[in-house]
Amino acid sequence: MSDIKIQSIAIIGKQNNPLYIKNFSVFHPDLKYHYIAHTSCDVIDERVGAAGPEAADTYLGLLYAMEDLDVYGYVTNTRVKFVVVLSVTNPVKNTVMKNLFKKIHNVYINQVCNPFYNLDGKKSIVSKRFVAAIDAIGITPSDDDVSP
Amino acid sequence: MSVLQTASSAITPFFTSLSSGDEVPGSTSILGGGGNSVSFKPAHVNESCLEFLIMEMVDLMYRTTVDSENDKEAVYYKLEMLGYQVGQSLVERFTRDRPRFVDTLDVVKFICKDLWTIIFKKQIDNLKTNHRGVYVLQDNSFRWFLRMSTESGGEAAAKKAVPYLWFPCGLIRGALANLGVISVVIAETNSLPQCSFQIKIAKS
Repeated sequence: MSDIKIQSIAIIGKQNNPLYIKNFSVFHPDLKYHYIAHTSCDVIDERVGAAGPEAADTYLGLLYAMEDLDVYGYVTNTRVKFVVVLSVTNPVKNTVMKNLFKKIHNVYINQVCNPFYNLDGKKSIVSKRFVAAIDAIGITPSDDDVSP
Repeated sequence: MSVLQTASSAITPFFTSLSSGDEVPGSTSILGGGGNSVSFKPAHVNESCLEFLIMEMVDLMYRTTVDSENDKEAVYYKLEMLGYQVGQSLVERFTRDRPRFVDTLDVVKFICKDLWTIIFKKQIDNLKTNHRGVYVLQDNSFRWFLRMSTESGGEAAAKKAVPYLWFPCGLIRGALANLGVISVVIAETNSLPQCSFQIKIAKS
């Protein structure tokens, strides 16, 4: 189990509007991760379009890699995109990333089930519980399995 | 608006535990708030509670709508929007581990099979389409109608039951919307407990 360091978690809505972008790193400014999330939208749209009519997985894997950062993507059936930026030295296993995205998805699902959250509005997510949960995932990504 | 929100927040946890557990007579439950608890045992909820809630919800809307001009419209709007939001949340939760949908027909089939099983423990009995964006879903024994009857019975009973279909209309519309399909859903019933939902999908 490689020790992954999450630099940023971004959640992008259906209309490619940013729902939540969190920067965990100390090296790069927030803006950089906004740019990364923005370019990831295009890469994801490309990948999803290329997969075409055959039913593909929700996990998209490594979208692209920059100097010291790897960008991983995941699309839900409701067309919400999760983007995680890592800085790694060793290659990361798919299972680890899938677990991570599953956890993020669970947190997102709990947020959507909140009746005070308007899914169709384009505003970012400001709920304290959501923010705290994402922070917990970003700071200590554990390797244990996620239960449904 | 707060009544609506508490009602819809009460409904979503019911469904999540109903999907894994059945009627447990006489026992109350911890409303398993969608996995927030530390132990992941599914909490069981008495199904009668859900049925009573659904019944009372319609009555509540009628009681609290004071604007006498557009009474019927307001009640319809409130119930349908309530269903819309619950439908969105349900779909978000239950399409998590599923492979991506291929086309609109796939989405409608998901609603007929998986979503209907989750909510009503059975599938839609009949699905018809004209392949031009109109689908008709027919349920021959709608679960929420099974215990409804009136003295006169027949047509009059069916007419009285229509408001109870507005919430499921919203459910279907919300589910479709969250999966990327904009639609209009109309429900009708000729005789209890049979009912049908007509989905008109917007041309894209």
